[in-house]
Amino acid sequence: MTGKGEFAEFLPAYLAEVDELLAASQKELLAVEEAVRKGQAQPRAVRELFRALHTLKGLSAMVDVEPVVSLAHWMEASLRLADQAGGRLPESSVEPLVEGLRAIELRVRQLGAGKAASPAPAGLLERLEALGPQMRDAAPRRARRVVLDADAAFASRLAASEREQLEGGLAGGQRALRLDFVPSSERAAKGLNINTVRERVAKLADIVKVLPLSGAAAGGASLAFALLLNTRAEDADLLDAVGGPPATVRSLEAPAPAEAPSGDAASLPGPAVLDEELEEPEVRRGGGLLRVEVSRLDEAMEWLAALVVNRSRLTRAVAALTQAGAPTRELTAILQENGRQLRDLRSAILRLRMVRVGDVLERLPLLVRGLRRATGKAVRLELDVGDAELDKAVADRLLPALVHLVRNAVDHALESPEERQAAAKPPEGLVRLSCHARANGQLELTLRDDGRGVDAQAVAKAANSAVPDSADALLDLLCRPGLSTRQEATRTSGRGMGMDIVRRIVVEQLGGELRMDTRKGVGTTFTVCVPLTVTLMDAIIFECAGRRYAVSVATVEELIDVTGVVRPAGADGVGLVERRGAAVPLVSLARLLDAGGPGSASEAGQGAKALIVRQRGEPVAFAVDRLVGQQEIVLRPLEDPLVRVPGVAGATDLGDGQPTLVLDLGALGAARSGRRKRAPRVGEWVT
Amino acid sequence: MPEVLVVDDSKVMRDMVVACLRPYPDSHFTQASSGLEAIEQLSLKPYDLLVLDLNMPDIGGIEVVEFVRGQDHLRNLPIIIVTTRGDEASRERALQAGANRFMTKPFTPDSIQGAARALLETSAEAPRG
Repeated sequence: MTGKGEFAEFLPAYLAEVDELLAASQKELLAVEEAVRKGQAQPRAVRELFRALHTLKGLSAMVDVEPVVSLAHWMEASLRLADQAGGRLPESSVEPLVEGLRAIELRVRQLGAGKAASPAPAGLLERLEALGPQMRDAAPRRARRVVLDADAAFASRLAASEREQLEGGLAGGQRALRLDFVPSSERAAKGLNINTVRERVAKLADIVKVLPLSGAAAGGASLAFALLLNTRAEDADLLDAVGGPPATVRSLEAPAPAEAPSGDAASLPGPAVLDEELEEPEVRRGGGLLRVEVSRLDEAMEWLAALVVNRSRLTRAVAALTQAGAPTRELTAILQENGRQLRDLRSAILRLRMVRVGDVLERLPLLVRGLRRATGKAVRLELDVGDAELDKAVADRLLPALVHLVRNAVDHALESPEERQAAAKPPEGLVRLSCHARANGQLELTLRDDGRGVDAQAVAKAANSAVPDSADALLDLLCRPGLSTRQEATRTSGRGMGMDIVRRIVVEQLGGELRMDTRKGVGTTFTVCVPLTVTLMDAIIFECAGRRYAVSVATVEELIDVTGVVRPAGADGVGLVERRGAAVPLVSLARLLDAGGPGSASEAGQGAKALIVRQRGEPVAFAVDRLVGQQEIVLRPLEDPLVRVPGVAGATDLGDGQPTLVLDLGALGAARSGRRKRAPRVGEWVT
Repeated sequence: MPEVLVVDDSKVMRDMVVACLRPYPDSHFTQASSGLEAIEQLSLKPYDLLVLDLNMPDIGGIEVVEFVRGQDHLRNLPIIIVTTRGDEASRERALQAGANRFMTKPFTPDSIQGAARALLETSAEAPRG
């Protein structure tokens, strides 16, 4: 029950792999459900789901997690039958399978938290066990009769479900092909082996079966692999994916027999068009991929951090030697080379820590599915995340915030189908999450819904405050701790996490930015900007009121000399400075930090230099006394809640052994302006 | 210095098998994540022992055994099947196809070590079927 036994040391690796298997299972189960809804077979997804559960069961048996073994066993048993039935299952079977996956996930989380896995619920086990007999479903419906070329397809070596899948593809308008790949040491040296070929072909086709061939069947080669496929891709593209000749491609469709079709009662019109959204490349396992526990990457990062700090010390020592007149030209050259190497090493380690945003969000469709059932609303979730990547640590912190935003969108923002129709909207609501990496090392995620928009008056009433006059002010109200416009918590929202937590994660923990745009009756868009990585960064070091501070280069838009002051700072510490013909608010950083001593030029909001950063999308200049330089720093988060304050991203060691605060100027300005009247905005004073 | 090929689509499971067999003196391990990759590996280099899962993508362990036994140079390669499917029919099919040992998960380090030792030290044992 607790993951003990002879293989207990494998528990962390087990948890990592099971996590991957569960994610794959959820994706496949959604594909199965989609097919079930359309009355289609989905043999590939059924088989993948079966295999994931089978692996999960075996692994769980090895580490002695009996509840997971039982749950996976009955799910696997029913899916084996569904596979034999050509990848079809009755609609009533989807819900118990979803419950089964949830129950497994819950127990895996318990293990991850160091607890024992609770026993599998007896009722659920019974429901899963009862699925088996339901799976022997009717033969699939066919739009047209198709016949496979038995020789080309090695029909005798195909399972019924595999044959069914090839014929089903043909009936649905795809081509069924056999693609032969001949492995060799030379091709393996170029990275072309059966695993990489499989991955490449999976992007172009549904691989139904791969068979090893030898002797005459292999076309004279000592070994060949025949990939049997359903595809809409061109032959040339398929051949290209397997490295060209001696690979060959041929059709598996035999000419249809001339006899009249038998009056099969099950044959109904309607070609089984393959749903494009289900055509995703298969989950890559093995084949040039290596799973690494995050703790090991963290360890590598720690060593790199130590190197970076050491290099700072070395730089100072060389500078001191140079000042003392020592010949340091060679030392300086070595130091520069060392800097370049450290930068390359840093990039390499950071790339290792990156995870695809698509993988991070793969549980959202299942979440929305649950919300659909819980709220009775019709919802379509669209994910447009491309190949964007994000540091694993950022992804782990960000996901709960995104889950909350999605839950809020479905629960609060989207109307019921009846309300939507009354408002001349399509009955199905839309929640769309898109993201792209920006050039400044930030990732921008946008969550848009086409619901009713945020009711400013209701929010103001709930917050016991005046009706806000802007989206920013409305977002500030929404993010007040404990605010809810609902009288009582619903099943889906109200789980102890409100918009205040979303903002805290995005702004304070990740040093990012949260914006909102909402229109009554049209919908709401939340924009989240977060740094791609938070551990190592290039920073600008500056002095303010006699102290050194650092700020991430990625957040600074520009450095300016404070020369054209349009209006000195008033009592609120905010002045105006001219930048390329426009006036920009000029904030005294010393005053913001409550650090302005008598000798501080920036106290008057007129430091020699200013850093321009975006605050809620608009430029703000922060006056500082002196720029010290730019260097790579290691950000240490401030773990102690007593010293965590908005606007301070963490601390760093610049190599002098003294802790230096790393500021997030956007958050610092926003946090402080909350106590004062809002700073004037660009353009408001230009008359 | 025995060359061992460990085949399972689960990386953790492969690592467990390797951890169990590592005490065998001077053994060297290669891992494959699918039956196809195993067949490719076997065509590129000689091995002394094959440890094989049954349920894998594309082709299962039984088909790998059948293919291996169909190759002249691999006819006597010792094969241990390690599987979650403990049913008698699967055992029968695997041994019929030419596997030398059939073990079900969960297995103990001692049991798989014992099987590997016996096969490596008497690798002249004739495969069945």
